Amino acid sequence: MKKATVDNTKDDRFELLRELLLEEDRGRIDTLSEEIILKEKFSKRVSPLIDEKILDLRENFPEYFGSTITETIKAQIRDSQDEVVEALYPIMGKMVKKFIVAEITKLSDKINQTIKEKFSITQIIKRFIKGKSNDAGVVLEEVFEPIIEEVFVIEKDSGILSGSYSRGNIADKDMVSGMLTAIKAFAEDAFQKEGQNLEDIKFETFQLSIQNFKSIYIAVACSGVLNVDFEEEIYEKINNLAEIILRDRSYLSNEERMSQIILQELILEKEE
Amino acid sequence: MIAKKVLLVGNFGVGKTSLIRRFVLNEFSEDYISTIGVRVSKKVVEYNNDSIKLMIWDVAGTNGNEKIPKTYFLGAHAAMFVFDLSREETYLTIEENLNMVKDLSGLKEITIVGNKKDLLTAEELNNVLNVVSVDVDLVTSAKENDNVESAFMKLTAQTLK
Repeated sequence: MKKATVDNTKDDRFELLRELLLEEDRGRIDTLSEEIILKEKFSKRVSPLIDEKILDLRENFPEYFGSTITETIKAQIRDSQDEVVEALYPIMGKMVKKFIVAEITKLSDKINQTIKEKFSITQIIKRFIKGKSNDAGVVLEEVFEPIIEEVFVIEKDSGILSGSYSRGNIADKDMVSGMLTAIKAFAEDAFQKEGQNLEDIKFETFQLSIQNFKSIYIAVACSGVLNVDFEEEIYEKINNLAEIILRDRSYLSNEERMSQIILQELILEKEE
Repeated sequence: MIAKKVLLVGNFGVGKTSLIRRFVLNEFSEDYISTIGVRVSKKVVEYNNDSIKLMIWDVAGTNGNEKIPKTYFLGAHAAMFVFDLSREETYLTIEENLNMVKDLSGLKEITIVGNKKDLLTAEELNNVLNVVSVDVDLVTSAKENDNVESAFMKLTAQTLK
């Protein structure tokens, strides 16, 4: 059988034609391949750096952007107060409601307990015999028990603190005494009532009662509901304390001793 | 610890508050001084091996026409009168103002301090000191913290006299 003749010329021509037709495309393919290879190489070199940067950002984000974000949020809140209020209102409302309900439940439990304890036949008879407080007064007294929070014995003119008692932590007592003396002087002077003294200052849940003596004044801050009995009792005790101090002036120059006598006369006896 | 009430008086803007700010750490807001005309600050100083608690009353104004309760001046153990070396009107009536403070407080001596020394040349300072009709105890600069401590030490010494 005769072998087919290999027509190289024909193959070459076909190749030539193909090259002519696809020359432009091949060029593009080569460029693209080069770009891809370059990108891969670049990616291999850059990827670790990007990962490192991402990790760095994740770890140090607050440091890099904290102040910017805070400022942006502040500006955003300032510029869109209405929207912020609208967004927060339902959440805040629910929280406030929840808190009030919890507090009222506690209060109601306490009132119920007090009524149960105080309105037994024996207690009613005891109160009747003593002729003390009305029924509502008894409940209020128990639920919102008046408590002495602060006591200051202060030199009248100089405003220097001679001694004090404090249940909690308050601002610098010396400075409070000085400013209280200044405010007292201001109020007394402003109303130009000669010989009259400022006696009460009320602020939210606190009542500051002031009793004036010749060279000192005693300020007592109380919380809770101050009924007449409590006020009378405190008034009497403050008078006793003042009498002790004014009879023995050495208390005025000994803050520690003064604080002891305040504790003894006004606090301990009350707690007992 | 001994506690003493000291007064800082002088016209508006002479630098009383700046002197106090240089000297003390604990202080109430400055709003008080514009509201009730006084602000109380505290500083514990060591003097001749004793600790002394200074309650500093920074009183706004010094002449009787101002509506400041006179009782602010009562019970003071010492007082410092501050004037501004660069403003004549703050020392022109200094004698009259000093007498008013003495009358109200019952103090016999008052420490006199010229502040804002940093605003004057040496020559200008001498001229001012010659013009002021009373002896000036110290010249200070609250801005440059010059002589502030000394002024309060002199005041402390006065409380113990």
